Amino acid sequence: MTQPLLQVKGLTKRFKDRTVVRDVAFSIAEGSCAALLGPNGAGKTTTISMLAGLLQPTSGSIQLLDQSKPVTDRRMFIGYLPQMPVFYPWMTGREFLRYAAELAGLAGRDAVLKTDEWLENVGLQHAASRRIGGYSGGMKQRLGLAQALIHRPKLLILDEPVSALDPAGRKDVLNLLQRIRLETTVLFSTHVLHDAEEICDEILMIREGEIALQGKLDQIRREYSEPVIRIEVGGDPVSLKWMASISSKAFVRQAEITGNRARLTVTDVEKASFELMADAVSHQVAFRKFESGQSTLEDLFLKVVQA
Amino acid sequence: MKQFGLFFRKEMLEMGRSYRWLWVPLVFLMLGVMQPIVTRFMPEILKAAGNMPKGMTIMMEMPSGAEVLAQTLGQYNAIGILILVLSLMTMISGERQSGVSQMIFSKPVSFVSYAAAKWMSMISLITASFGLGYAGAWYYTVQMIGPVDTAAAVKAALFYLLWMWFAGSLTLLFSSLMNPAAGIAFVSLGAALLLSLAYGMLPRYMAWSPGALPQISAKVLLQGSGGTGTMGALLITILFMIIFFVGAVYMTQRKRARF
Repeated sequence: MTQPLLQVKGLTKRFKDRTVVRDVAFSIAEGSCAALLGPNGAGKTTTISMLAGLLQPTSGSIQLLDQSKPVTDRRMFIGYLPQMPVFYPWMTGREFLRYAAELAGLAGRDAVLKTDEWLENVGLQHAASRRIGGYSGGMKQRLGLAQALIHRPKLLILDEPVSALDPAGRKDVLNLLQRIRLETTVLFSTHVLHDAEEICDEILMIREGEIALQGKLDQIRREYSEPVIRIEVGGDPVSLKWMASISSKAFVRQAEITGNRARLTVTDVEKASFELMADAVSHQVAFRKFESGQSTLEDLFLKVVQA
Repeated sequence: MKQFGLFFRKEMLEMGRSYRWLWVPLVFLMLGVMQPIVTRFMPEILKAAGNMPKGMTIMMEMPSGAEVLAQTLGQYNAIGILILVLSLMTMISGERQSGVSQMIFSKPVSFVSYAAAKWMSMISLITASFGLGYAGAWYYTVQMIGPVDTAAAVKAALFYLLWMWFAGSLTLLFSSLMNPAAGIAFVSLGAALLLSLAYGMLPRYMAWSPGALPQISAKVLLQGSGGTGTMGALLITILFMIIFFVGAVYMTQRKRARF
């Protein structure tokens, strides 16, 4: 289960005088789900296009391993869904899916069977005979997933699969991904951290074309998460005055206070929360919210991105 | 080979659903039929126009069948080529521009099959449209004007067909090279026009140019043979079509998607 499926070394892409991706190296283990995180314009789509074989890297190597041996044409083993999938609007959903299946090498009867199977898997069986021109964004995304998976690829590559969808469409696609990742290795890019946390076990953060942080999600959480207390108080002058004073407490390592809200990075959550509450009671501060816990992936992301 | 069939079927389906299989042959048929009919009725048309001074008589010698057929080919050279370029220009660039190519080319597809299917469907559309139009022109010429030598008519048609294939290949090459449709149309039409003009102005130096083919085909009709440069022009044209094809395969592979 832990042998690598995809190995990327020294991947670099230059467009004229701009280096969009610089010396990126990582590997993805078979059976894992990796998220490529980064702000807009960090080079996510460029990296993914190179992995999918649509863009020639300026330098570096991309190897897909099948039974520990690198393959010659990795497109056979990859399913790819672009950021905004575009289809032939004059084809019906079934026609396109069958076309995709046959292009991927499935023979006639097999292609027909798989087409029907996947139409059902992504819930498009009732729209299958309609022209794709009339599909909604969510339906297109699901059809895109079906065409990427129809030949049972070893690696599924998705570029921002849910960013453009409404909440209902997002949930549909995420549920599908949950199911798919049990059978296939998945790599997807996103700038929505919540999605990454929900389905992935490995993350790669990239910033300005370089890998800023990579590793297993739980490991990163353990290593980088810090004890954090979030407080919200009432708008009365007594409470606000108390808020302004708390940043000078000994256990506070870092404080961000805006009006009646504060986010404190502390040394010890338990001790800090007892002291804060006792202090607040003695000053007659009206709490609206008191939350103690760990910093989230989002906090880490912002820290990495803004570093 | 299997992929070629797939791509080709898809192109045919697309040409059908976008009605290109309807309007291109129809326009060609109209263009072809018009020439003999207009020629035959020209005296009546002039008479009916009615703004002729009194007492004036026009003597018009009815042209021969071969002449009318040669004039028809002249019609194709202007409007026919325009129609072809317009209907073929986005065949490769359109898929790249819209983004479908990203999904197609991330599958294990062969670029040669892809381009070959585009070529084959271009040749099918041109052959069927021109064949229909020319047959119509021939029929009406024989009915209304006079007989045409069959061997010469067929030979002339084949030369002309090669010229149209050449123009289609040129359009597909530019379609693989650049994205804006207007640019593709402009450059392809311009190149075809320039070739044919260059032959008209410097026939001695351009005798082997593909631009000589329309004239060769007219000469075959009127004089029975295409002249000394025929063989050369034929070979050069086929050679260029092969070069264009290889160029288009290379360019589609290099510019797989728009970035």
